Parts: sequence; structure tokens; C-alpha cells
Amino acid sequence: MLQAHQQVQATDIQRRQSGTVAARLLRASRNSSSNSRLLRQIALVSLLLAAIFPLFGGSFFTRLAIEALLFGCIALSVDILLGYAGLLSLGQAAYFGLAAYVAALMYLHVTQSFWLVLLTASASVGVFSFLLGAVAIRAKGVYFALITFSVAEILSKITHNTRAIGGSDGLIGIPVPSIPLLPGLEIEFANNYVFYYLVLGTVCLLYLGTRRMLNTAFGSVLRAIRDNSDRVPYLGYNPFWYKLLAYVMAAQIAAFGGLIYPLLRGFVAPHLFGFEVSTKAVVMSLVGGVGTLIGPLMGSVIITFLESVVGSYTERHLILLGIIFIVFVVFLPDGLCGLAQRTFGAGRKVKP
Amino acid sequence: MEDLLAYLHFVVLPQFIDALIIGVALALVALGLTMIFGLLDVINLAHGELYMLGGYAAFTLLGWGAGYWSALVLVPVLVGLVGWTLEELGIRPLLPRADRAIVTLLLTFGVSLIFRDVAQVIWGTETRSVAAPLTGITNFAEVFVPTYRIFVFSAGLLAIAVTWWLVYRTQIGAVLRATAVDPSMVASFGIPIRLVYGFTFLYGCGLAGLAGVLLSPIYAVFPTMGHDFLVMAFAVVIVGGMGSIIGAVVAAILLAQVQGLASLWIPPVWAETLVYGVMLLVLVIRPAGLFNRLGEA
Amino acid sequence: MIRITDLSKSFGALRAVNHLSFEAMPNCITSIIGPNGAGKSTAFNLIAGTLRPDSGRVELEGHDVTGEPAYRLAKLGVARSFQITNLFFGLSVLDNIRLNCQSLESRNRFLSRLDRLSAPVRRATEILEEFGLDESADELVGNLSHGDQRRVEIAICMALSPRVLMLDEPTQGMSPAETAEIDTLIKSLAGRVTVLLIEHDIDLVMNISDHVIVMHQGRKLFEGPPDEVRASPAVREAYLGAEHAAA
Repeated sequence: MLQAHQQVQATDIQRRQSGTVAARLLRASRNSSSNSRLLRQIALVSLLLAAIFPLFGGSFFTRLAIEALLFGCIALSVDILLGYAGLLSLGQAAYFGLAAYVAALMYLHVTQSFWLVLLTASASVGVFSFLLGAVAIRAKGVYFALITFSVAEILSKITHNTRAIGGSDGLIGIPVPSIPLLPGLEIEFANNYVFYYLVLGTVCLLYLGTRRMLNTAFGSVLRAIRDNSDRVPYLGYNPFWYKLLAYVMAAQIAAFGGLIYPLLRGFVAPHLFGFEVSTKAVVMSLVGGVGTLIGPLMGSVIITFLESVVGSYTERHLILLGIIFIVFVVFLPDGLCGLAQRTFGAGRKVKP
Repeated sequence: MEDLLAYLHFVVLPQFIDALIIGVALALVALGLTMIFGLLDVINLAHGELYMLGGYAAFTLLGWGAGYWSALVLVPVLVGLVGWTLEELGIRPLLPRADRAIVTLLLTFGVSLIFRDVAQVIWGTETRSVAAPLTGITNFAEVFVPTYRIFVFSAGLLAIAVTWWLVYRTQIGAVLRATAVDPSMVASFGIPIRLVYGFTFLYGCGLAGLAGVLLSPIYAVFPTMGHDFLVMAFAVVIVGGMGSIIGAVVAAILLAQVQGLASLWIPPVWAETLVYGVMLLVLVIRPAGLFNRLGEA
Repeated sequence: MIRITDLSKSFGALRAVNHLSFEAMPNCITSIIGPNGAGKSTAFNLIAGTLRPDSGRVELEGHDVTGEPAYRLAKLGVARSFQITNLFFGLSVLDNIRLNCQSLESRNRFLSRLDRLSAPVRRATEILEEFGLDESADELVGNLSHGDQRRVEIAICMALSPRVLMLDEPTQGMSPAETAEIDTLIKSLAGRVTVLLIEHDIDLVMNISDHVIVMHQGRKLFEGPPDEVRASPAVREAYLGAEHAAA
């Protein structure tokens, strides 16, 4: 009698434990910042809005939206580093610019094949980011930001000084190729709407891919590094490789934006590497919400559109940009997504 | 042999002297930047714009009929006050935050954008010029240097000397150095830390304003002058050691020489790039820079 | 089993650790005590891979691990806690512990989705229950009481399934009741794990240790079982000053 009772107790305990464990697993996964339910909802709504946008946006604004998505890639890359690994990179524009110039030069002088250009740009960014990352990551704290910043500035200066690749005027007249997707199926970039949906679709994939990549054991170690990088080695992880992988990954995402940019605007210029592009990307990330992944994309749309609209009334759009920066930095450090989380009660903070 | 001496005398020496003058002015801007970082851990991205403000303030005061010499005294005070306001309103509320390094960096970046556009609203986008108070050329060892530049060099050197005296020989300086090491301990002595921080910004920005006045007759005044100078100033601060007074001065002179002398042999734009290359090298090999932070052994 | 041979470390003119040698026997509790500034924490840092020694050797189960970085030692089964609480304050208690369990998983699972990693979470849950932290599993560590945080410090170490457990003043800031709990906890660990302990609470140390090492000014002053240490005049002198030793 006692034995049977004990047996029931045992299975009860087992069931309770596995129930607890299952519940914990689910919570562990859902609580990761980019994967929370609210953020998934926000992402979905954003996607829907983005999908119907061209219908009433018109040609100019659709192209502007594409530009917003491309700059959004830089913002997303900043977020991966800042929101997950705790690394502030002030030089992500370096990869945007690098990919843009490689693409432009290849289209102008070498080939019209989109896939070949993609491969070359991706490979060059990959090598460069691996080397720079390996050096910069060893540096502590603010020095990482300074190294990334100075490399981007140096690239900008070199491009500015070298006549052969356009000098201060950059390169213009870049032909817009068509992409052979499947035998017989070619995609024309000349059509704004096709271009838009293509870019939207790819950015969507990049976003989902990044979210998935960070919702793993790898991602949780990155978040630990962000929270307390000193303690991480004592857990058995060598933070260097984790940070490096995140850095190389982030560079590829920024590079995608750069790869498409010359196709959109038909030109590339040294300012694409510049400090202002890099810092704007940080602010886009801040405005949307650092660590949310969808936030930077939203932030990019907001800031790109704002700059364009304000820019059409006055040349003095920097004042507005500066004010927005300051307002968010001081009053809304969580960004818009953080505001949403607080409004709908989904976020948690350490109480001071 | 004679050719070499002549080369050194008439090509290298003038460039050396020129670079020395620029180096001293650069040191003024870098000093402010490094002091602010050394004491508050704040990277002031608006510092270049304060230098620019110095130039524009000089232009305006001269336009109102003030003499150059009065501008020389007034402008650093004015710019210093602007810096103090920035610290009180913008920086201090953010200091308690855990992410203060990033947040103050972004804040000052926002401020720099605003300043730049406001300058364009007030003064327009064309380059403004400021008349030099001293005309004429001085013959210095067979090298002809504009007299005004010699004045700039002396004034800059004097300002650097005053700063050194202030930091290392006065009570105020002792408080500054102690705050760089341990602010809470200084506060527990009853010294109001907010005044220490405010003074640091006041003085540092004042130096930038001074550089602005001094250089305005040489380089003219235009809206992006701050940005260009700032990147150089950062290179100086990094190479010299962030938070080090001696470092800022030594590195400023050094890097100005690197740029100046290098442009004898390579195109000037590449000389500038070379300086950034040096900065990157230092960041990688010895990120703390050449000298130690204020207060450290 | 840890063996330290002739370990030295100087910071400028300060000889923090001066030719230190001792052995910590397997599955025993060895405590290091000594007045402030004796070099106990530095010795710990040298063993755990936080600092590299100027000279000397550290051997773990016969293997030379001198100067190995901290993450290698963690992988070899050395877990260490910190005197000043050094946890992931922005993450939940569960996450803090799970991260440690996770590092034991093979590399291949590094890209697996978080909600597929059942083993680390299950193990983390077990440890939480063992330490009585079950209730606060989802709390952010930063919001816990000091005593609870200190318990998490130890729990994290156990999550590594360590062979050697190095505890740096685990009861720092705790009430007598909490100290007693830790006392029991550490005693229960003996026999499973080699424990190296730094403590200021002499009673705790004498109560649970198998072996005590007394450090003074970077050197080993005395070592032996608790009773001998208590009786030693040299030890008393180091702690209390020469006048008291005579008494």
C-alpha cells in the first residue's frame, strides 16, 4: 500500500518536475529580449505596414523606404553588437561603405553579374571584419568604440583622397543590373515596386535569421557578456570568439545594405563610411530600442523619413536630428519598443 | 652637404615652425577634451563645435567694433560659460546612469549637430574672416614667419603653462586631480563635486574657445571647422593618453609635426591620413596612450 | 587535488604572494585564513587563472595549469566564487545558473534554439531546488537580497559540476543564521568536491575545515588541522599582535 503510494508520489513529482522544466524552458526562450511576445507582435505589425506602404506611398517615398531599409541594416548591425555583446561600434558604416564601393567598382569595371558582386563584397567584408574584429575586440571598453571609429574615418579619408576610385566626388553612373534568380526568371531593378519588395523580403529574412541566431546558446552567452563580461570566463566560455563571431555577423548585415545602395542611388561617395552614418545608425538603434532587433529597423524608417521631410522645408534638419537624439538619450533610453514594453507591462528591470 | 643644409633650413625649418604653431593650438583643444574625459569619463563630441563657437564669437565681437585684444579675453570666458551650461543641463543629469559613457557620447553628438546648424542659422554658411591684429613678417633665422603666428605660438604656450600651473601647483588643481582618482572621497571632504565638474567643463571649453579666437585670423571661420579639428584632437588625446595633461601637449606637438613634415613629401591629404594611422597603431599597441591618466602614477 | 609550489606575485614593490606552497587534498575542505592583506585573495586569483604568477607552479590533479586563463580552468572543473558579488544582475537566477550548465554541453549545441536545450535547464532547476532558490528562479538577480545573492554565487559554481570549488569569503555580509546554512551546505559538499575556502569567520573555518592554512604577509605562516592552528602562538601573534601571544 505504502509502496503504491510512494510510486504515485514519485510519478507525481516527476510530472511536476518535467512540467516545471518545460515551463521554464519556454520562459527561458520567450524572455530573451528579441523574442518576447510583444516584440513579435510589433515585428508583425511593422511587416504588414511595410507590405502595404508602396500602395499609397508613391514612387519617391517607396525609394525612400528602400533607403530606410538599407540604412536599417547598419542599425541592425549596431544593435547586434550593442544590445547583445555589449560592444559599442562607432564604425559599422565602414562595412556599409566597403560593400558599396566594392559593388560599385565591380559593376563599373568588372561584371554585371549580381551574384558575383554579392560574393565578392561579402567575402571582402568578411575578411576585413575578421581581421579588424580580432584586433579591436582585445581592447577594453571605450577603446573598442574608438578603434572602430578611427578605422571608419581612415577608410573615408582614403576613399576621399584617391582619385582612382572617385575621390571626394565618389563614383557615379552605376548601371543597374537585373538579377537572374532562376533560369528564365530575371528580376528587373528598374521597377521601384519590385525593388522594394525584394529588399523588404531580404531584410525580413535577415531580421528573422538574426533573431534565430541570437535565440540560441550562443545568443545567451552574448547577453551574459553584455551583462557582466568579467564573470563570463569563469563559466567556461572564452568571450573573445563569441564577440568575434557576433562582430563578423554584424558586419555582413551592414554590408548587405551597402551592397544594394549603389543600385538604388546610382552613386557611392566617401561619406558612406563616415562618422555620421555610423552614429546615425547608433541613434536609430536607440530610438527603436537597443536589443530588440526590430527597434533599429523601425528607428531607421523614422529617422530617414523625418530627415527627408524636414529636409524639404529647410536645410537645417540637423537641429531636429540633434533634438531627437537628446530627447531619446535622456528620456527614452529604452527606445520606442521599451516604451511599448512599459505601457503593456511586458518588460522587467532591475530595481535600483 | 650645402644643399642638404639649405634644404633643412629653407624647406624643413619653416614647415617645422608652422607645425609647431598648429601643434600648440591643437594642444589647447586637446587639453580641454582630455581634462573632461579624465575627470568625468565623458567623451565630449561637441568640443569641436565649442572651438568653432570661439571663432564665430571673435568674428561677431570684432564686427561690433570690439578690438581683437578684448575679444581674446572675452571669448574664452563666453565659450567657457556655454560649456558650463552644457555640463549643468546635459551632462550632470546623466552621470549617475550605468551607461553614462555611451549616453554622454550620444548626447554631446546631438548637441554638436544642433550647434552646427544653429551656427549656420546665425552666421550663414559662407566662410567668415577675422582680421589679424598683428601684421607684418618677422625674420626668424632667415625664415619669414608672420608675426601674428609667433603671437599665437606664445599665447598658446602661455595658456598651456597656466594650465599646468593650475593643475599641478594650486589647490584647485589638487582637487581636480583627486576627483579624477576618487570622486566620492573628494565629496566626503565636503567639496561640492558638481562645482568641480562644472569648472572642468568651463575651463576645458574655455581653452577650446581660446584656440578658436587665436586661429580664426589664420584659418577663417566656417561651420565645419569644428568637426575637422575634433578628429585631430581625438587623435591627440588617444595618442597622448586619455586624461593626461602632459600627454595632450606632447602628442599635439608630435602629431602636428608628423602631419606637417610628412606633407613635405607626400600629398597633404595623405599626411592627415597618416596621423590617423598613427592613432590606430597606438590604439592597438598601447591603447592607454603614451602617458598615464591624470592622478595615476 | 591542488598543489601550489613556490607561487609568487608582486605588484610593483609589493610582494603580495611570496613563495607560497601547499596542497589541498581531494574531497577535503581546506581553508586559507590570515589577517587583511595577507595575500589570500591574490593567491586565489593566481590559482583560478585571474592573474598570472611571476613564478611558481599550480598543479591540478598532477597537470600543470600555471598561468592558464580562467576559462580553461573552468573547463577543467575549477569553479570559483567571488568575495564581492559578481553575478549577472540583469539576468534571472535561472539564467545565471543555466549558463554554467550550458557550458558543459558540447560545442555542437551552440546554435541550438534555447527552448530545445532541455538538459541545462533541467540541471539548473535541480541546483535551484538544492539551494532553495526555487521560488526566485525567474527573479532578476539584481533584485534579490544580499544573502540570496551570495547563495547564487555558490550555486553558480556547483552548476559547473566542479572537481574543485574555490569559495572566496562566501558568507561575506551574511547574518549568523545564513552563515550557519552555508556552513551546512559546504559540509554537505565535502566528499563530493575538493573545497578551497577563504574566510574571515574563524568559527566557521574551525568548524568545517579538514585543513587550515594561515597566511601572513604573502607567506604561509602555519598549516595544519584546526586544533593545531587554534593552539599555535605564531598564529595568534599574527592576528592579534605580539602582546597577546604572550598571554
